Amino acid sequence: MTAVPDSPARRDTGSRRVPAPAARIAAHESAEVTFTVNGTETTVEVSPRMHLGDVLRERLGLTGTHLGCEHGVCGMCTVLLDGEAARACLLFAVQCEGAEIVTVEGLGTPDDQHPLQQAFSAHHALQCGFCTPGMLMSSYDLLANAPEAAAENLPEAMSGVLCRCTGYRGILAAVSDVAESYPDGVPEPRGCAPRMLVGRTSPGAGTAAEEAGTAAPQLTEVRLPTGPPSAVVDVTSQLASPVDRVWGVLTDFDLLARCLPGAQLVESYDEDRHRGRATVALGPVKLSFEGLAQVVERDPDAHRLRFHGQGRDTGGSATAADVVLHASPTADGGTELSAHADVHLSGRVAQFGRALAGDVSRRLFEQFAAGVDEAAETGSVSEVPLGRRLRLAAGAARDAAIGAVRRTAHRLRDRARRGSTG
Amino acid sequence: MKAAPFAYVRPPTLDDVLAELAGGDGKVLAGGQSLVPVLAMRLGRPATLVDVTAVPELGEHGPDGRSGYRVGASVRQRVVEHDPAAQDVPLVSMAMPFVGHRELRSRGTVCGSLAHADPAAELPAVACCLDAQVEVAGPGGTRTVAAQEFVTGAMSTTAGPEDVVTAVTFPTAGPGDGFGFAEIARRHGDFALAGVVCRVHVTEAGAVDAAALTGFGISDRAVTRDVTALLAAGESEDDLRPATTELAAAIVDTGGDTHGSTGYRRRLFAVLAARELSRALHRAREGRTTR
Ligand SMILES: Cc1cc2nc3c(=O)[nH]c(=O)nc-3n(C[C@H](O)[C@H](O)[C@H](O)COP(=O)(O)OP(=O)(O)OC[C@H]3O[C@@H](n4cnc5c(N)ncnc54)[C@H](O)[C@@H]3O)c2cc1C
Ligand code: FES
Ligand code: FES
Repeated sequence: MTAVPDSPARRDTGSRRVPAPAARIAAHESAEVTFTVNGTETTVEVSPRMHLGDVLRERLGLTGTHLGCEHGVCGMCTVLLDGEAARACLLFAVQCEGAEIVTVEGLGTPDDQHPLQQAFSAHHALQCGFCTPGMLMSSYDLLANAPEAAAENLPEAMSGVLCRCTGYRGILAAVSDVAESYPDGVPEPRGCAPRMLVGRTSPGAGTAAEEAGTAAPQLTEVRLPTGPPSAVVDVTSQLASPVDRVWGVLTDFDLLARCLPGAQLVESYDEDRHRGRATVALGPVKLSFEGLAQVVERDPDAHRLRFHGQGRDTGGSATAADVVLHASPTADGGTELSAHADVHLSGRVAQFGRALAGDVSRRLFEQFAAGVDEAAETGSVSEVPLGRRLRLAAGAARDAAIGAVRRTAHRLRDRARRGSTG
Repeated sequence: MKAAPFAYVRPPTLDDVLAELAGGDGKVLAGGQSLVPVLAMRLGRPATLVDVTAVPELGEHGPDGRSGYRVGASVRQRVVEHDPAAQDVPLVSMAMPFVGHRELRSRGTVCGSLAHADPAAELPAVACCLDAQVEVAGPGGTRTVAAQEFVTGAMSTTAGPEDVVTAVTFPTAGPGDGFGFAEIARRHGDFALAGVVCRVHVTEAGAVDAAALTGFGISDRAVTRDVTALLAAGESEDDLRPATTELAAAIVDTGGDTHGSTGYRRRLFAVLAARELSRALHRAREGRTTR
């Protein structure tokens, strides 16, 4: 073999951007870093030593990326960075300015799974599921960028992620199944539509505020996420009051807010925008939201009201909802009140999971409808003690709540420890 | 597994990188695939990490115009793995799939692997066997060091704390060259228990006129020997085995661990060396340079 004809040296820009320079960030300071996660640009404020895995999980609520060893050996934390698999635990977030990151949440959604996810399910390629996100992201990278390596020696090509329970046969079968089904290349990730990713903007401010119980960051505009909702709520309630009185409540935002247990109108602005506050108590969990709602449709003839709401709590959780309320007269002179809501959750509350989020939202709506009925009849709503506002019998709710509390306790402990060691 | 606090900077030019390293309490951060685990386990606590990836010229790679293939400091292993021009350094292509895993090569750099100088790492061994040239910039200017002189021991090199490896140049293969690479690791992607890299050059008549053999994972650094004379013993693996066994006794000195004794590593080295030298010789004679 002979040397190739000389040509000018190339820059390493293939699939990869050359990062812009970054000014020095002192060890105990933090700086803003902007990158794209699953199609959505996001900015986080981080100290130099915070790795990408922690940012995804703790700041952005994307807990699909797992952390096992945190020193590069196990592969649990594998994500796509600028289209190639990389260990999120071996990357500091400050290195990721301008990067394009895809996590398992971006690979596919529960309703629209990526073929790899479907194949893992079909081939029983998971047991406890701890390694699954890493396996999925690694296998996506393999089939997208190095299919020849997959064909040559799949076990070696997939050796970068460990599984401690299923064994590798199902995993390898799933990956080779997808490789065979898509000879021209594995389909693109499916869950990368822009969506809401509202993290804790500043670690210092967020946690201090959380501990001091001070107000959440103020929202000034309502932006509705465009990705698939975390939960869809469809509830209908039968009210005794006639439809005109019910509509009267729906158009009085102050009264309407008070119909929602724990909610309170703080201020109204032009363009039918209203600032409010809401508290949700779930067993030992208590979340306090500051939010903004904007009425986007008000149809007195059809008795239809549509609004967008968005709220944030001090701990970095965020909710947003697109709500349609519709009142229609019934034969017995009463009203049927129906609500349809697309609910989007991120941050800590997202850890509750879809089913629970749906349950909680449904339960809240039932209490809301009872409040509307009372207001339509009496012109006001009686105060309900906080403790009784929302009681959930479901065991799942309790378990999730306990889990969330444990996690919070953990964080507080960590923080205390960090504080004491300087 | 959280790193102790450190300051971070990503300077725009090489001069700025050197300025940040002046004083010696900073560390170069390239791909981070070896450095970050060290930080996570708090085995090291540098005051500042100096990320070299924003310096444009350190991202260059390609033929250097003098039958060499040059790789800048921020060029990732995976970029080289997929660069058609890198095929002209067959040993790099042969060794690369064994450097950790795909997920690590997407970040890890070629120069970072040399600078880290793990005794069981593949790329420093390839660099030593091929007599690659390492470019180093420091407070006193720039210098070029042959790979074998660059690595001075386990994770030790002639690059000081204020120096930066800016590039490495591997000689490209020519007519009459043949190469061999093999390693034994407990699992694919692990550092090798023992490995060999070799190159053989034959004249147009087919006579061996140059041959070098490098072992890795067998001492505190990659060890290279001129084996031109050794190849006079013959062409087949069996012909070469007595000589490689003798060589193993002389150069394999890694102490035993849970994965293998020194004796076991010597056997691995002797077998792999005989096999790969025989293969390299055949390839050289057939005019083939890869597997
Ligand atoms: C699980 C695992 C398995 C691995 N297996 C293997 C393997 O089988 N074989 C193998 O060879 N490697 C292996 N590695 C290491 C990996 O390949 C690293 O990429 C490589 O050793 C270092 O390259 P880096 O660019 O990541 O360097 P970094 O981690 O950024 O740096 C490593 C060290 O070199 C210094 N350094 C880096 N670049 C420069 C420079 N330009 N000038 C001066 N100093 C510099 C740093 O300061 C640091 O001390 C493994 C790593 C892990 C986590
Ligand atoms: S958490 Fe184990 S490799 Fe990242
Ligand atoms: S399914 Fe449990 S670790 Fe892989």
